[in-house]
Amino acid sequence: MSRWRPSPDEERWLAVASELGAAVPRGAVAERTGGWRNTGLLARIALFVLGFIAAVLLFGVLGVGSVTNLLVAGLIAVLAAEWLTVSKRLHASGIEEGLCVAGFLLVGAWITTLSEGGPRFAGGSLDTLVLIAAAAAAGLRLLNPLVTTCAAVAFVYWAGSTETARALDQAIGGGLTGLTLGCVLAALALALGAREYRRPSHDRMLDWLVATLPVAAYAQHATWDYYAQLRFSDGAGMGRLATVVLLFALGVALLLAGVRRRRHAPLLGFMGCVVGLAVELRHATTLATETWLILYGLAALVAGVALDRYLRQPRNGLTSAPLDSREGPLDLLQTAGAAVLAQRTAPESPPSRPTVTPGGGQFGGGGASGNY
Amino acid sequence: MHTLEPELRTLHAEGVIDDATAARALARDRGEVFSLNPELRATLYAGVLLVMSGVGIVLARNLERIGPLAIVLAIALAAVACSVPAVRARRVGRPLTVAADYLLLLAMLLVSADLAYAERQFTLLGPLWSWHLLLLAIIHAAIAYAFASPLVLAASLAALAGWFGVGGTVGDVLLFSNSTPALGARALACAAVIAAWRYADRSARPHTPFSDVFDHFAVNLAFWGTIAWCVDWPWLAAGLPLLAALAWASVRRGLDTGREAFLVYGIVYAAIGICAAVVPRLHGMTASFSFVLVVVCAAAATLWQLRRRLREPNP
Repeated sequence: MSRWRPSPDEERWLAVASELGAAVPRGAVAERTGGWRNTGLLARIALFVLGFIAAVLLFGVLGVGSVTNLLVAGLIAVLAAEWLTVSKRLHASGIEEGLCVAGFLLVGAWITTLSEGGPRFAGGSLDTLVLIAAAAAAGLRLLNPLVTTCAAVAFVYWAGSTETARALDQAIGGGLTGLTLGCVLAALALALGAREYRRPSHDRMLDWLVATLPVAAYAQHATWDYYAQLRFSDGAGMGRLATVVLLFALGVALLLAGVRRRRHAPLLGFMGCVVGLAVELRHATTLATETWLILYGLAALVAGVALDRYLRQPRNGLTSAPLDSREGPLDLLQTAGAAVLAQRTAPESPPSRPTVTPGGGQFGGGGASGNY
Repeated sequence: MHTLEPELRTLHAEGVIDDATAARALARDRGEVFSLNPELRATLYAGVLLVMSGVGIVLARNLERIGPLAIVLAIALAAVACSVPAVRARRVGRPLTVAADYLLLLAMLLVSADLAYAERQFTLLGPLWSWHLLLLAIIHAAIAYAFASPLVLAASLAALAGWFGVGGTVGDVLLFSNSTPALGARALACAAVIAAWRYADRSARPHTPFSDVFDHFAVNLAFWGTIAWCVDWPWLAAGLPLLAALAWASVRRGLDTGREAFLVYGIVYAAIGICAAVVPRLHGMTASFSFVLVVVCAAAATLWQLRRRLREPNP
């Protein structure tokens, strides 16, 4: 039993409690979690944001004019997070995570002020690397997959922007160094994910890397490619074939691993690779934007309909039906997504003119005055 | 990978969980049953988004080449084609699959775009052009009821909000400089209409699948409207009590139904509203930051305490 974080066994019981929800009495699991407490996903997100804002506000209260206040605010935030963890036994509750991440970043920001002139490391900014290291340290301390993944993605971006990477890009193709690094890290995480871990959080950290790194690395590559096309009209397309091969190989590996292991993360990573391949294919054709948008959209819909039909009856344990009838964050996201789409298709109204004036309507409806 | 099988077996052996729960949890843990529903939803959503983006560009660019009437007819035809799976499911009395649901949503969005385009080209409603949003809300609602589709209902409620003039994004609404009392009044009126609709729907059909969608729209619109009232005096006098009442009602609803989202709405919107009311009246950065810090800390502590009291809904 540790004061600083749940033991692997305690963390596993916390995961069991989250998995079973109300199906298991709280008391039956509470005694096995060593008194550690966590919260639901939505509250965790809200508490994370509140904790992060609180730490930044603390810096504002102390005074943004002095760099020493970065250190003071950061240390106070980290100590507050540690107090919540050790005394209140909070784990994955959001508030201590927000405070800890903001605290580490503030301390990291203070460290960057110690050296003048923007020191370099491997041809990249050392200041940025310090901030990435601070985020990674916070993520590892908290066993938080979101924070460690953000640090990994930022590292890939940083590595892709160094002078060393630029020099390599000149030889192998625009933006390929960052993309290759992202794909290699994703493949490494995929390979490590085949092992069995006692801590669910270690597994989740790898899962998040597998799910997000391909698309994040490709996004950097695509941005670089876009600017390269603007600046060097003949050199930007050199690495296209290598990009396609890289994404294709990783995508196949992710798909096979996802289906074999029955895990969502490799499948999401595979979808990221498909997005990258689709964009590369679009560059290779001369189709008008609206044509490829509609074609790709139809392809996605056809794939979705076919998969839905194929898995309507479970096949080898795979199904397209949801396993949980509880309203989850995905349902909320889906409702919001439908509303956003509906708003996008609505006509453009004159911005200064409300579409209805309460009490100003003539014939009924929400703005009617009742005068016919 | 990790497996929770030993823990699940322990709970089952101790009689803490019943056979059915244990069998279900073990099957999921071992991957004997695995749902691709999240991936499917993401794929279908991306498909709808891409098609609608493409259609938007077609409507904007190809007017002269194809002609407005041909465009209107082609999009209407596409909408009809997209609704075929839903119609077939309804005919055989089957609930909508996730794919049929998204295709129906696409059909309704195509209808929206078509109607908006036709209205713009032919000015069918003349000066009453904004009423076509209400028409859309009604059409979408009718289709949502006919096919029991919460997704299409969300599109209907978005159109209704647009008709009330609250069609912005969350960012727009929370940008306090844009939050006028008139906007607040419209948002509150819209929330009241949706709440009334929800209760009528619940009374008529006790097992309605739409209550969650109504709830989220009504609560968010009501809070946005109230926060808009918290910015300026004398609306503030009504805004703050209303904010307190709404926050209490939202938290109460969250605790009663075990839905965490309503706790978050109640606490976070209340904190935003209080800050919107007080911060513009404070002088100096330190005072403002200090006040917001106190509010944020109080909100976090309250949310944590309330979350501990939340009754988990049954799986």
